[in-house]
Amino acid sequence: MPEDSPQLLPGTLYLLILRTLAAGPLHGYAIARRIKERSAEVLDVEEGSLYPALNRMLLKGWLRAEWGTSETNRKARFYSLTKEGRQQLAAEISEFDKLVNAIQLVMKTA
Amino acid sequence: MAFLRELYLRLRWLAGQSRFQSELADEMRFHIESRAEELESSGVPRTEALLRARREFGSRLKAAEDTSGAWQMQWLEDLASDLRYAARAFRRNPGFALTAISCLALGIGANTTIFNITTSFLFSEPSCRDNASLIAIWEGGNSGASVADFQFLRDAHVFAGMAGINPEREVNWRDGDRTSRFYAGTVTDDFFGTLGVPFLLGRGIAPGETNTAVLSNQVWRGTFAEDPAILGRKLILEGRVYMVAGVLPANHRSVVGFGISPDIYIPVAHADDNVQFYARMPKGMTLPVARARLLSLFAQLDRIHPKDGWQRSGRQTRVTGVTGLDRLRQMMPGVVVAFFAMLLVVVGLVLLIACTNVASLLLARASSRSHELAIRLSLGAGRRRIVRHLLAESLLLSVLGSIAGLGIDIACAKGINNLALPVPLPIHLVVSPDWRLLWYSLCIVFVSALLCGLLPALKAVGKDVSHTLKLGERQTARAGNLRSVLVAGQLAVSIVLLTTGFLFVHNLLRATSMNPGFDVHHTIWAYMRLVPEEYNDADQAKQMSLVHSALERLDSLPGVQAAAITQRVPLNDNCVTGTQLRTDVSSTPIHLQYECNNVGPDYFRTIGIPILRGREFTAADRKGSQPVAIVNESFARTVFGKSDPVGHTIATDFANDKPKLIVGVAKDSRYFTLGEQQRLALYEPYFAHGEPINLHFLVRAAGSPANYVKPIADALGRLDSTAAIETKPMDQALGLALLPSQAGAVMLGAMGILGLMLAAIGLYGVLLFSVSRRTREIGLRVALGATPSDVLRIVGRQSLVLVGGGMLAGLALAFFVMQPLAMFLVPGLSTLDPTAVFAVIGVLGATALLASLAPAARALRVDPMTALRYE
Repeated sequence: MPEDSPQLLPGTLYLLILRTLAAGPLHGYAIARRIKERSAEVLDVEEGSLYPALNRMLLKGWLRAEWGTSETNRKARFYSLTKEGRQQLAAEISEFDKLVNAIQLVMKTA
Repeated sequence: MAFLRELYLRLRWLAGQSRFQSELADEMRFHIESRAEELESSGVPRTEALLRARREFGSRLKAAEDTSGAWQMQWLEDLASDLRYAARAFRRNPGFALTAISCLALGIGANTTIFNITTSFLFSEPSCRDNASLIAIWEGGNSGASVADFQFLRDAHVFAGMAGINPEREVNWRDGDRTSRFYAGTVTDDFFGTLGVPFLLGRGIAPGETNTAVLSNQVWRGTFAEDPAILGRKLILEGRVYMVAGVLPANHRSVVGFGISPDIYIPVAHADDNVQFYARMPKGMTLPVARARLLSLFAQLDRIHPKDGWQRSGRQTRVTGVTGLDRLRQMMPGVVVAFFAMLLVVVGLVLLIACTNVASLLLARASSRSHELAIRLSLGAGRRRIVRHLLAESLLLSVLGSIAGLGIDIACAKGINNLALPVPLPIHLVVSPDWRLLWYSLCIVFVSALLCGLLPALKAVGKDVSHTLKLGERQTARAGNLRSVLVAGQLAVSIVLLTTGFLFVHNLLRATSMNPGFDVHHTIWAYMRLVPEEYNDADQAKQMSLVHSALERLDSLPGVQAAAITQRVPLNDNCVTGTQLRTDVSSTPIHLQYECNNVGPDYFRTIGIPILRGREFTAADRKGSQPVAIVNESFARTVFGKSDPVGHTIATDFANDKPKLIVGVAKDSRYFTLGEQQRLALYEPYFAHGEPINLHFLVRAAGSPANYVKPIADALGRLDSTAAIETKPMDQALGLALLPSQAGAVMLGAMGILGLMLAAIGLYGVLLFSVSRRTREIGLRVALGATPSDVLRIVGRQSLVLVGGGMLAGLALAFFVMQPLAMFLVPGLSTLDPTAVFAVIGVLGATALLASLAPAARALRVDPMTALRYE
């Protein structure tokens, strides 16, 4: 794990997971892998917080989990978005945009 | 919705925990192995790759714990441990727990009992199949309509089934050489089958049967001693043989509702009998549709068989359900509903007092535990967590209190089910716990837990921790103030309760001592009910000769001064007529409402109502002779003013009614209730009309009326052995007149006493606690030379402030909240009854004195040396 990996903003882990799963079902390892790749290795999701987060999202009804076979032919648990998950994703994206815009405004003008 | 789904998912998680754990382990292993393979493919050796992958993942145990943590119901597990902790604390302090639980049990028991009675009286669910599809049909008013109309509706087959009942008939039962009377319900063909009434033994009355009967459970148990061979037994009712076909179960509630439950059911005999209509709607039919279909049927019936001045299809025709508010609105007078509402409010106040007691016990406990709580807070326990823990204690108390309270309730219900109300109506309540009671108790548990626990819990964590730790438990006195406020409030509420109780007791005394306007102490009432079939000649000659020979025999009994026959016995039955009245002194008719009664010769002398002018009726006033009437003073004054009405004539608007000559004026008396406003009354001669079946004889005798009961019954019994005869002294026959006052006095008096008791416990507790808190101070004062009277003054001042404050607040509160009670009181008694107020002040003052005695005695015994050694 690189030492300079930035702290995630609170709540953004949900957003990242939701966004990653929007393309299709993935297992836990793939989710972490994908987030790391897409952020050019900047964002490293800790495993210790990934699985609790996934389970909290299952509980909220945003995700669905099914056992399937991985690309390496192993038994793996695949997560996918539910209808509510998609709605949540849309809501979080607009929330996040607002937040980032606001922060950028402050950064540019203050 | 989201909450429910979450709860469902969590519960499913709880059920499948072990599978979840192993799946989670699989998932993590997969994660690590995938990472290891990735590392391997970039050239790291297998073992090294696995090690690195594991290291990167971190603690698998912690991840697993955090993940299951997402699913756990922390609050449920916390609650369980809080409850366990509270139970342990109560076991260590059984005196406290017992006091609190018994206070709550009394309050909750009173609440659930009254609630149970109220729902089973006002909202009883009839014991029928699918009550929701049953409707009651009201052709007009609250009484039923003719069987002929019933048959017309039934034969139209608009409804899936129809049932009719007249629940207010009477029949004579001849058992060997004894005859007694039953309250009977006469029912139409297949009444029980249509309604789907379950039976304990046998079956209902089958269609077409004319000689079968169904027994209620109370008669089967009481009169027939639970005879297991009752089915097929022959009963002689009204001179005819009936066979018992079935027995209803003990929890049977009739479709009529309100506890009305006849002793015995027999088939309806005549087409002109009146019955109440019930119908079962076919699937899919709604009330408005049912009403529309019914109105069109009634319109047809109005064309075929018109009724005098009455449109069956008019607006007064109503269709209602057989349960709930619908039936209540149709059948119950508002004042009865209001009475039950008041009872519920009153028991609510009792519960409030009980909860205040427990709250103040918990406050005392919390302040003696303040040191412990402060330590827990300073060690990092969350305030919310401690509040929750304290609330769990009060929840446990109120759950245990409710269980004990439900025990009280079940015992009371047993008593009520065996209670025969002293009213001339077939009322028999079936009170049993049901789902409504369950919900109500659950609500009560939570409300009382919050009432008892919230304030003490907030108080307990609201303190400055370091301050408490420094001072220890001795000097945290603020909780004491709160407790004083609670007790003063409790006294205020108990004043309201007590004043209400006293008011109703006073009301009963007033009603009992009210002069009915006639003599109840020297008169005997004999009710002789003849069997109609034995006396069915058109000119009534047979029963008239029976009445005459009965009067002769009664007159000749030794000690009897007078005997008379009357159609109605005052305060037991009445008949109000409202009509246009014409007199010979004025050409304009006046509209009057008055009591009417047909009385025989010597009635006024027998019952002891003075005739002020003119004469009473004689044997010469009978059918065919000059129509005459006697009016009471109020009637005379209203119609004739100051002039003498005797010699004038009055005529009603009724068809075939000839003008009547007024021959006398009787003194005013009471007619239906003792507390009624003075009413107008018009008497007509009994033998001008006649009343063939129900004969009411009144006998005036020298000496105690009780001695005459048997001779009179024997004398009448010899005249006709098929007649049912009930004889009792008049002073025992005022049940209906006094029932409302008695019920009010008993219920509210009991609640008042209960409230006072609970408030006294609270007062005692607070004073005792504060004395034990001030032991050191008192000891110091004694050491400095305070005399016993000084010490008493200290304790006395505190109790005076508490009681005085509570009383003032309570009297002010009572002044406002008791205004609406006026509707239950006899005229002349105000809700601001000074007697009640003084009685309450006296009783409460005495209670306060008693409650202060023990604490004061304890204060006097304080030994200065012991007290000072605490330092």
